[in-house]
Amino acid sequence: MNYVIETKDLGRSYETYKKPEGLMNSIKGFWNRQTIRKSALKGVNLQIRPGQIVGLVGANGAGKTTLLKILSGLIMPTEGSAHVLGTVPSERDYHFLSRISILLGQKNQLWWDISPIDSYALLAKIYNLDPDKARARVYELAKKLQCDHVLETQLRRLSLGERMKMEIIGALLHEPEVMFLDEPTIGLDIVAQSTIREFLADYVKNKGPTIILTSHYMDDIAKLADQLLLISHGEIVYNGTVNAFSQKASQVQTLQFRLDKNLEKAIPLKSGQQIEAGHREYQVQVVNEEVPWLIAELTKESQLQDLKLIEADFEDVIRQFLEKESRVR
Amino acid sequence: MLYANFWRRNLGFAKLAIASNIEYRLNFLVDALVQPCLSSVVEVVLWISIFAGAGMTLIGGFPVESYISYALWATFMGRISSSWMYEFRMIEEIDSGSINSLIVRPMSFYEYYLSQLMGYKFITTAVSLVVPLVLFQIFNLPFHLDRLPICLILVFYYLILVHSLSFIVASLAFYLNRAHSFTAAKNLGLWLLSGELFPLDLLPEPFKTLFSYLPFSSGVYVPTAYITGRIGQEAVIQGFISVTGGLIVANLIGWALWKQAMKNYSGTGA
Repeated sequence: MNYVIETKDLGRSYETYKKPEGLMNSIKGFWNRQTIRKSALKGVNLQIRPGQIVGLVGANGAGKTTLLKILSGLIMPTEGSAHVLGTVPSERDYHFLSRISILLGQKNQLWWDISPIDSYALLAKIYNLDPDKARARVYELAKKLQCDHVLETQLRRLSLGERMKMEIIGALLHEPEVMFLDEPTIGLDIVAQSTIREFLADYVKNKGPTIILTSHYMDDIAKLADQLLLISHGEIVYNGTVNAFSQKASQVQTLQFRLDKNLEKAIPLKSGQQIEAGHREYQVQVVNEEVPWLIAELTKESQLQDLKLIEADFEDVIRQFLEKESRVR
Repeated sequence: MLYANFWRRNLGFAKLAIASNIEYRLNFLVDALVQPCLSSVVEVVLWISIFAGAGMTLIGGFPVESYISYALWATFMGRISSSWMYEFRMIEEIDSGSINSLIVRPMSFYEYYLSQLMGYKFITTAVSLVVPLVLFQIFNLPFHLDRLPICLILVFYYLILVHSLSFIVASLAFYLNRAHSFTAAKNLGLWLLSGELFPLDLLPEPFKTLFSYLPFSSGVYVPTAYITGRIGQEAVIQGFISVTGGLIVANLIGWALWKQAMKNYSGTGA
């Protein structure tokens, strides 16, 4: 089978130096620097088919951006190999670069001092596009993103949301086959987030590019991605469909209840946690099969006054995963 | 086809530099007109003072008019043949990581900045040229107007070498966190070696011969001395040859530094 993206034991480590506190240490460090080697990515094996939308999720510093940077050719791996569209990305072959696009949500990629429409004209030259077709495409995309009224305003004068929409148009102008989207909705309000999300969903449906998407907003992943990669400490810890992950997530529920009097004895749960005694109101997470047993336990000595079952959604489970990762760190 | 695309996009980069610079009108006018005027006044006063202080009518065999003439053209040529502004930008791009958006596009960092530099220099030259031309008319100073086109061609050719040196300095930013100090040191060196500080023919031997054979003299001394009649055409031809040699050496160094830097680059800031 032909894969658009294929990696084998991919890894990347960095060398940095220690910067201890204080002036004396700075002076010492002038001639004697202690270097540290840090592994940002280890043993990553991926096989991504054409047209797949892959959500890449992990805590800060887990290695998401490093993976995107390697796959887009921005940096070289220190171990293993990567192939994107049959090419080694770090060779930065112009033909390869004109078939991909990377959007770094925290960085401006268009030109700050000129209007977006001028930036797109320049991008059309860089990507060797027909100027008239490129202009028509810009207006088409801008209309869909509801931002055609600011195309002729200097980029530096636009709001964050407008700028991000402009960046997205810039990233799509040459109709890339593979797109790397790193936090495309970061810092945006809910309306702008959903506009961009809907726009991307629509674009994917019509053009079918392969996309690797990272986002801290799980709605982005849940609504756009069909494949999920969870990354932790530079390693892929889950690689499967978003649906399979959601099903796994639905095995855990949140039980919210109120008793007529304080709970007298603590109740141990299968997860190893326990419901502490001495309170009337609780919110606990339990696996599905434990729910009837827990209700029976609670009603032995008290009466349940309010009981609510809240199904854990995709975002909750991802959040738990990220929280767990942050604690381990 | 590929060749046509190369020129098309590089013309685009040159236009980008022009558009970006004239966007800030006052800044552009100060840079292209006010600064050359002030520098010219300083140079004229300096050489008049030197002659008055020395109590001589000739220095190195040339009268004060010749030195004023040299100083005015040297100021003009020196402004064209320097690139500190774009060198700073290149270093900043690397330091801040904004270079990431450039190196994932089908173009090179070198050509992107070279074309911008050329575009910017083209527009500022066209405007700044008014200053020496007007002053020469007013004070009736000696120079050969017919030699101006070949001098400008030599200076713009030299500008490629200047950019290649900037590329080397900027590439150091991959290895060092702050490479700006190299820009200042390099510019000081070029100020002396190019002949912008004073005419290279005032130097004692063997420095005079050595400096005039180095490619850096083609930035200011050779075109200025040629246009003011201090040297002949053979020095201009020699200038083109030495700049070509300089370009080969500078680009080999730049290419090696860049290649090694890309191996270790960590994609800062993204």
